[in-house]
Amino acid sequence: MKKRLCRLLPPLLLAALPAAALAETTVDSTTILRVQQEAQSPAIGTGNKTLTPITEYLGVDADKLGDGNLSLHMLGWGQLEFADRDAVPGSADRSIDGKLTYGYLQYRLANANAQARAGRVFITEGIVNEQIDGVSARTDLPYGFGVSTFGGATVHTVKIGETNTDGKGDGIFGGRVNYRYRGLLEVGLSGVYESAAPTPLVAPGGTPPLNGSFGNHRLVGGDLFVRPLDLVQISGHTSFNTETEQVAEHSYLLQLTLRKDLVVTGNYDFHHDRDLFYSSPLFSSANLLKSLTQQSKVYGGGATYTINKNLDLSGDFKQYKRDIGEAQRFGGDLRGNYLDNALRAGLSYHYLRASANFAVVPVAGASGSFHEGRVWAMHDTKTYVASVDFIDYVFKEPVEDKRYAWEGQASVGYHLTPEVTVSGDISYGQNPQYRDETKGLVRLTYNAKGGAK
Amino acid sequence: MIRSRKFLTLLALAGLSFAVAACAQYKALPSMPASHPEELASGPVSCAECHEDQQKGTMKPFASFNHSPAFIKNHRFYAGSDQAVCATCHKWSFCSDCHTNQAAMKPSDKNGDRPDRMMPHRGDFVTLHKIEGKLDPASCYRCHGRANNERCVACHR
Repeated sequence: MKKRLCRLLPPLLLAALPAAALAETTVDSTTILRVQQEAQSPAIGTGNKTLTPITEYLGVDADKLGDGNLSLHMLGWGQLEFADRDAVPGSADRSIDGKLTYGYLQYRLANANAQARAGRVFITEGIVNEQIDGVSARTDLPYGFGVSTFGGATVHTVKIGETNTDGKGDGIFGGRVNYRYRGLLEVGLSGVYESAAPTPLVAPGGTPPLNGSFGNHRLVGGDLFVRPLDLVQISGHTSFNTETEQVAEHSYLLQLTLRKDLVVTGNYDFHHDRDLFYSSPLFSSANLLKSLTQQSKVYGGGATYTINKNLDLSGDFKQYKRDIGEAQRFGGDLRGNYLDNALRAGLSYHYLRASANFAVVPVAGASGSFHEGRVWAMHDTKTYVASVDFIDYVFKEPVEDKRYAWEGQASVGYHLTPEVTVSGDISYGQNPQYRDETKGLVRLTYNAKGGAK
Repeated sequence: MIRSRKFLTLLALAGLSFAVAACAQYKALPSMPASHPEELASGPVSCAECHEDQQKGTMKPFASFNHSPAFIKNHRFYAGSDQAVCATCHKWSFCSDCHTNQAAMKPSDKNGDRPDRMMPHRGDFVTLHKIEGKLDPASCYRCHGRANNERCVACHR
């Protein structure tokens, strides 16, 4: 089934391309040539390496095909590496690589937000976030109800270490039903069911990896939106792992719009490692997380005050509570925009106060605490675009003998025509990994819209 | 036996009536437009600036979608239930700048000319993730749990 779908998809999309030429078509192309030189920190090693990959992102959107309700959407990338790389088998460090991010035909009905999609699509419905090769459909129904469904083959990714699998079954289906009452309330029930997860490889005489911590990807959950007053809004979701029969995650947000210029938020996130990470061989492996019996709670809050139409001031706080310790993060952002949004700038500072167990190397006397500061500005006109960005982390205790990690970046671009922009970025930084890291990038962007009106 | 037959007939009739009424109403249910009829300024927008009191049917208030810093940080709650609203202004490629299955480069490198956009992993995240990952692994899992993990595999084998 999976192979058939994979074989069917490219001809279907190719067959649609001539029709796309006659439709309202948008082509978005970004070509990026990167040059990156890295000199490793003496604490890590002494190697230097140069990377020079060229990457092409190509997106096509052809609207108003057929009777006007049909459209085609594609996005993918291809990459060619010119210089020698320290290739890691199974990783993206290959000389030639490429992926189809999405590619699908969509049919929209004039009523009820009804639509059907076929091809490689992303599914975001309630607690479900998946990429599939298959079909999806959704519609609003009378009396405030709505329904969506999807099914097809999973899109596989890289194999995780010794398990020799990406952990995904081959087939997947699911959906969501929801009920809305005016604009005040929405409740949704959603679920995803993936066919049996592959069995991780076991070395001869070895113990089964991921024993008891990895299995099928099957979740159900509910989502909620309540806005009883213009002042108060609550949204969030809870997911339940039907394989482990435990709650995987709660995630809720309270938003209070106290005044037009003052928004206050509070959030609560809870998860249990084993139940949330159960279908990921990467996260289920013992070498990534110390113990899958841990649970995590994050409480937080924030406020944004719009000083005037050009300036927003935000402050935020988060309390992290895990079995291995507690941490707090607090800070603020100032963002501005001027000249009809052509000039934008921002300034932010945050401090993470974290105990030794959160440190890079969690030993006695270590610390996971650090300061983070960032300042940036950009000017985007009809002729050119220019930006600067500086970010700095200052560690309370040195990491690999370095007390800081900083990076400065500048970018300049010129709009050759309204459709074509050429731009270049250059950045330099020092951090615990690299005593010097210089990166350069040339970007050619082409965005064109054409075809029948 | 006769009573149960009558009951089933009545139930079928009621179901049919409900279905006919629902079908009649279905055509009256509005759709969001495929694209925003007017070109919008670049940068975060405030929907309620123009759409105040234009909410129809079961649609959520436009003010809920104002692109405030709180909205941008928590957009995942909206993406799961209001895709039709998002799609009016955003192509999928906008989401795929960060949310993808296998990425060619860091989103903040690809969009290095857009420091105004919220992008994950700016600066030296190779070092930072050793702290952030212990602190809140769920925030990593959302993107890297079952996708975008080819870089993770280089070390976490």
